[in-house]
Amino acid sequence: MNQKLLEAKNIYKSFGKVQALNNVEFYLYKGKIHGLLGENGAGKSSLMNILSGIYQPEKGSIVIDGKKQKKLNPESAAKLGIGMVHQEFRLIENFSIKDNLTLSKSNIYINNFEEAFRKYSEIFSLAANHDSLISELSVGEKQKIEIMKLIFNNNKIMLLDEPTAVLTPQETNQLKISLETLSNEDEKTIVFITHKLKEIKEFTETIFVMKNGEMVAKDLKTKSVKDTDLVTLMMGELTKSVVKKNNKKGEVKLKVENISLRTDIGGFNNLNDINLSIKAGEVLGVAGVSGNGQVELANIISGINSNFQGKVTIKGEDVSEKGVKARKQLNLSYIPENRLGVGLAPGVSILDNSVVREYFSASYGPHLSTNKMVNYLNLLTKEFSIKTGEPKAEISTLSGGNMQKLLMGRELISNPEVIIAAQPTRGLDVSAVEALHELIIDQRNKGSAIMLLSEDLDELFKLSDRLIVLYEGKIIKEFNIDEANTKNVGLAMAGVIE
Amino acid sequence: MVDIQLMGLLNATLQAATLLFIAALGELIAEKTGILNLGVEGMISIGAVTGFMTAINTENLFLSIIVGVLSASIFSSIHAFVTVILKQDQTVSGLILTILGLALSSLLGKKYVGKKLMVKIESIRDIAEPSNILEVLLNQNFIFYLAILLMITTSFVLKKTMFGRRLEAVGEDSTASDSMGLKINKTQFIGTCVGGAFAGLSGVYLTLSYVPYWTDNMTSGRGWICLALVIFGGWKPYRTALGALLFGFLEALVPRLQTYGFELSPYLVKIAPYLITIIVLVILTIYKEGKTGAPGNIGRPFFRENR
Amino acid sequence: MNNYILSKKTVVNDLATFYSFLIGLIIGICIGSVILLIQDQNPITVFSLMLKLSVGSINSLSGSLNKAIPLILAGLGISIMNSVKLWNIGAEGQIFLGAIAVNLIYININISNSNLFIFILLISGFIGGSVCILLPAVTKVVFGVNEIITTLLTNYIIIGLTVYLVNGPWKDPKSLNFPAAAYVGEEVYLPTIFGKLSSGFLICILFTIGAYYLKEKSVFGYEMRIAGGSSMTAIYAGINAKQKAFFAMLIGGGFAGLAGAIELLSQTHRVSIGISQGFGYTAIIVAAITGMRPIGIFLVGCLFGALTIGGAVIQTIGVSSYIADIIQATTLIGALVSQFFFTYQIKEVKDG
Repeated sequence: MNQKLLEAKNIYKSFGKVQALNNVEFYLYKGKIHGLLGENGAGKSSLMNILSGIYQPEKGSIVIDGKKQKKLNPESAAKLGIGMVHQEFRLIENFSIKDNLTLSKSNIYINNFEEAFRKYSEIFSLAANHDSLISELSVGEKQKIEIMKLIFNNNKIMLLDEPTAVLTPQETNQLKISLETLSNEDEKTIVFITHKLKEIKEFTETIFVMKNGEMVAKDLKTKSVKDTDLVTLMMGELTKSVVKKNNKKGEVKLKVENISLRTDIGGFNNLNDINLSIKAGEVLGVAGVSGNGQVELANIISGINSNFQGKVTIKGEDVSEKGVKARKQLNLSYIPENRLGVGLAPGVSILDNSVVREYFSASYGPHLSTNKMVNYLNLLTKEFSIKTGEPKAEISTLSGGNMQKLLMGRELISNPEVIIAAQPTRGLDVSAVEALHELIIDQRNKGSAIMLLSEDLDELFKLSDRLIVLYEGKIIKEFNIDEANTKNVGLAMAGVIE
Repeated sequence: MVDIQLMGLLNATLQAATLLFIAALGELIAEKTGILNLGVEGMISIGAVTGFMTAINTENLFLSIIVGVLSASIFSSIHAFVTVILKQDQTVSGLILTILGLALSSLLGKKYVGKKLMVKIESIRDIAEPSNILEVLLNQNFIFYLAILLMITTSFVLKKTMFGRRLEAVGEDSTASDSMGLKINKTQFIGTCVGGAFAGLSGVYLTLSYVPYWTDNMTSGRGWICLALVIFGGWKPYRTALGALLFGFLEALVPRLQTYGFELSPYLVKIAPYLITIIVLVILTIYKEGKTGAPGNIGRPFFRENR
Repeated sequence: MNNYILSKKTVVNDLATFYSFLIGLIIGICIGSVILLIQDQNPITVFSLMLKLSVGSINSLSGSLNKAIPLILAGLGISIMNSVKLWNIGAEGQIFLGAIAVNLIYININISNSNLFIFILLISGFIGGSVCILLPAVTKVVFGVNEIITTLLTNYIIIGLTVYLVNGPWKDPKSLNFPAAAYVGEEVYLPTIFGKLSSGFLICILFTIGAYYLKEKSVFGYEMRIAGGSSMTAIYAGINAKQKAFFAMLIGGGFAGLAGAIELLSQTHRVSIGISQGFGYTAIIVAAITGMRPIGIFLVGCLFGALTIGGAVIQTIGVSSYIADIIQATTLIGALVSQFFFTYQIKEVKDG
């Protein structure tokens, strides 16, 4: 019988009024690959952050190797051998790979760094030189460094938070093999955190399921558990809706011709001769691993970046030389990938942020009407069921889901004819995702031409009529939705054209 | 004859540069950990006045230097406490400490204005009018050589030692460093206090060697030039030293211009260092296109539970 | 065993800044008292004397409010620039250049209608302040040069310029001990109201209302806030962030320049190094303590003005005037420390 390396009992954690973890129990067996399954917002990341010492629980005990832990902080957790790879990487961009791997005080490969680096580069199929800067690496390579960091710090317990979110299906397979090697040969204890059913079944030996801050199932044997059972545990009785694809399409609303972009930042961010068009009532899905030109393309079409070659036509009018104002006048809406930072201004109030698109209509000439602004915010809140606090409170006091609802509401309330939506449901919980998907389909049915850029293949398959794949700034392949599947799209995302 | 004047200029340049460089190096260290300390001017002042007071009362140079360095360091710990522990705005805190530092020094130094020092930090060999480079170098005192030692040590530690790399990591990306187990608060607090200590040493050099006496507003804005020097030097010790030499040269040049036959009003010439600093700063920023070498996290407080 | 952790409060009390200021003020007075006690002075005697001679009579009250004018105006300018998240450390230099601009216009132009002349001179002062911040503004907006350093260094350039002018081309031969420019004629003195109170104070009230309106109620203020929040969001909103930043800086500089003009036309009546005694730096403290709120800046400015007058008069009983500076600075440190307690909380971690 395997002994329990780690046991967490009665864990409680809240952020302000939100109860993120409610009496959670969790344990790990030495040398096994565990799965932590749950929808976005179920509490998986919070639990992992507590185990790795970044958050402190209000109540609860953690026992590691038989010893009860008094207070975990990142340093003591590291000493106990717990390490975590987060969704947002914790790498120092301007420092080298070697620095990032060796600066930690728990580094065990001080004298034999080169040897260790070579060994693990092979296991992970990493091609880069250890003097390269992190900023020069691709997203997939950065993640490999993150995982190698854990190994170099002698982390016996490795927590991986949604590691496959940024990988192509082929890289995902590579990761699976690497993890199995680590678990079998190096006896590492691994926790694989995800909301993807398929991957949990492929990667893990035992599964824990979380829902709404509670641990609803513990230690289910992966080989014998049924998919339907897992789904029910994860999401309760809520079944995901299926979208009917019998929508009528009208004339072309958005046309993009020969778009090219040269930037000085690494080769992945340039765009090369992009051509596409979207009809009214049509959803064009744009697939691709993050960092292959999606942000750049969206910024060009929306008018934020006017420094490019090529032509952008909206409803027949050429807006290539014109800016955001012209796009707005032609009824284009943009839901950017960086909701806080581009779509919403940080450090600014909820009220101010709600009228970013239409602030001149909330004013009488040079005078700003707070009344008009408040009315507008109330309209948005009602229409889109946004849970907001004080209007004058700062925008980041809203939850991620409500921030996104505010952003989308602000952009969609004017019934736009062209919508550019980039990663609209990233990091949101299941009910928020459902609600936002409904909004998108609603707009589609009203005749909008929609470009949906997403890393989530499930979302793309669910909502799109056509699919294009971006790879290194080029459209590498196009699919009609009925001919697209995980395999051929996945290969295209990795740059392989059959 | 020209030789002597040139050497005199070099002599004055080295001294002025030493004064600027030590405080600038201290600020460089603080900024490398991510803390912007606008209170340098106040800290130099505190070191200057306390060192002077100790020298007048005890005639013990060693003690005076220690007191000056420690006082400035303790004073800078206020800034460290407010910005690192309490996580308040670094610009505001630094500015208050300048005002407080200058006011406190004026208050403390009131009774000492015009007093004559019986002791002073001696040169290696006192040469009234050095006539070649060797004599100029011998005419410097040990603080000059200490400054060179500090420059070499700091550069070495930052680039080649684990301690230095970790220090830079904290200032570059505190979130990533925290997850690596590096101690952010401790590093930043100590970095700020070390910066204060260096500023104190500069102050001591000012009143026990460079000038050497005490009046109000002794520092006359040199602390601000030190801040500019750090940017000018791209946060690298050797380049900062170069900048210090340049500004030391300008400061030394001002009183000598008339002897060289320049008919410029001395008042206008006094503006030159500040004007040149701005111009150089602008040119550097344009040339570097934003990649100035600034620590990535500078000016932002670190808070672990950022959600 | 119980452990404690630091966590940020999600809702911050609106009056937190005000309470922090009060607490800071109490701390400042306490520390001031300690310093006085160390110097064998009786704090109660000193403070009551300060109080009596700063606000105890119409005369002294008007003196205090006069002293508040540059603090308030420069502070307002700083708060306007703060909307776009920029710092103005150059208020000191802008005050001087405002005064210099007034003198420049005065000796070169003659306008018979003295009210009109005064008006023109005040505008020149405003423009002088804007010109002073022009270089930092351009370099910041076009090249991204750090405005903290550029505005700071400009102070020393302008103060140097002032010293040059009062010792050189503008030197008044009649002023023997103190280098200064010649006095401006009485016809352009700013009129007084209520005894010694300068009409400049009315200008102050006007500009406070103006700054409040600009920041809170105008479209320009909204655009500044968005631009200060994120330049990308600003682009999407159709706001030219750089343009907003540029004008915010010119306005901020102008406010300080106006302060210099009023100092000259109502207090010193000539250009000299005494136009400003660190007002530009104190104004930063005033603006910061109030959380950059115009109304607060007006009130705290008045308080600090009284403090400065009080600090000056206690020299008559042998107490250093620096005590006022120290109280001001420690008030702000105290306020910063209190603000910490309003924004963060210590939570207890219980064992399960």
